[in-house]
Amino acid sequence: MANTRDIKNRIDSVKSTRQITNAMKMVAAAKLRRSQEKILAARPYADNINKMLRKLKLKNKFTEHQLLYPNQDAARNAFVFVTSDRGLCGGFNSMISKRALIYLEEHKNTDIICIGKKGYDYIRQHTNLEITEKYFNFFNEMDFSISKQIADDLLKKFLKGDYGKIDILYNEFKSAIQQNIITKQLLPIVPAENEEISTLDFIYEPDDNTIISELGEKYIEVEIWRIMLESSAAEQGARMTAMDSATDNADELVEELTLKYNQVRQSSITKEIIEISSGAEALK
Amino acid sequence: MDKVHLDIFQPQQVKLQDDFDHVIVPGIEGDFGISIGHTPFITMLRPGVISAYKGDKVDNYAIHDGFVTVEDDKVVITCQTIEAAAEIDAQRAKKAKQRAEKRLQAPPDSSDIDFRRAELALKRSLVRLSLKES
Repeated sequence: MANTRDIKNRIDSVKSTRQITNAMKMVAAAKLRRSQEKILAARPYADNINKMLRKLKLKNKFTEHQLLYPNQDAARNAFVFVTSDRGLCGGFNSMISKRALIYLEEHKNTDIICIGKKGYDYIRQHTNLEITEKYFNFFNEMDFSISKQIADDLLKKFLKGDYGKIDILYNEFKSAIQQNIITKQLLPIVPAENEEISTLDFIYEPDDNTIISELGEKYIEVEIWRIMLESSAAEQGARMTAMDSATDNADELVEELTLKYNQVRQSSITKEIIEISSGAEALK
Repeated sequence: MDKVHLDIFQPQQVKLQDDFDHVIVPGIEGDFGISIGHTPFITMLRPGVISAYKGDKVDNYAIHDGFVTVEDDKVVITCQTIEAAAEIDAQRAKKAKQRAEKRLQAPPDSSDIDFRRAELALKRSLVRLSLKES
């Protein structure tokens, strides 16, 4: 049977781990709130860009604008894969990484673009596919200019005609305990049809094509921004839940170990008493 | 209601939501004013000043790019950078202007992108300064 000192050490180490997981839980909760605030703040802007784009699309039903219609000549497509930079967030990265492998299995001739370190590592470990582009350490700063940079890089390649279409795979924040894995077509743009729009006849300045180009660019920028905020909120939610259950487990473990510690202590006392009393008996 | 409603949206925040008598906006093909009953209109913006009039008060904003939608007496401006007059740092704008001018005077063999960038920076600083001095 383990001696009391060993058990005591275990209890101490579990307690200090508990302290860390508890602190991580608090930090994740604060970061989650910040991401959610940013998502809400971006919504009016994003909705409005989307609405304008839909109006333009409605008016130009037969446009072959490059941002709105698939490029049939391109030999390759692109796949943007959004994960987190850090671990310790439950199944957040592993679930989506498995989904990414299935996607890549089904879609050959695809360039891979990784946002977030974990997904990059996973693909490197599990396949011998080449990764075209990678973006790390966004999630620490959460600045719009970073997502703008990513959007500009993607647009540049798309407009050059490198890709027929660009898909994006990411975790959407549903609640702290639930994330939805979403695959979405980023380019060519399919505006979301979420609310009624007026069919009024608008005057446009300058010409429609210039506006579509300009709006499309802004649309992709804010879409990437939104997706990265969603992913970050989902990540923090997952981490919060994971750390919460880790803290609970640590509590349980401490309880169990304390019980065991008392048992061992009790049995060693009993043993000593038996030894003394039997010694005394022998002397009689 | 005889007022137009003005919304200014940025990716990071909702900048402004208020009613005004009329609003003047720097459209890409010229400045234009919006009062009630304006025709439905969507345009890109060029660097300039947005003036929103309410009674005898006027609010000025420096804007650098974006779009404006006019629909049902509602004006919606979506843009990435916009500053109220009070938020502008005149010193910084002046320095930016000097920097940009210096760059534009450099021999033309420097790359086009740098040139365009300097041009845009100059425009931005001029807009900011014009607002600060008015």
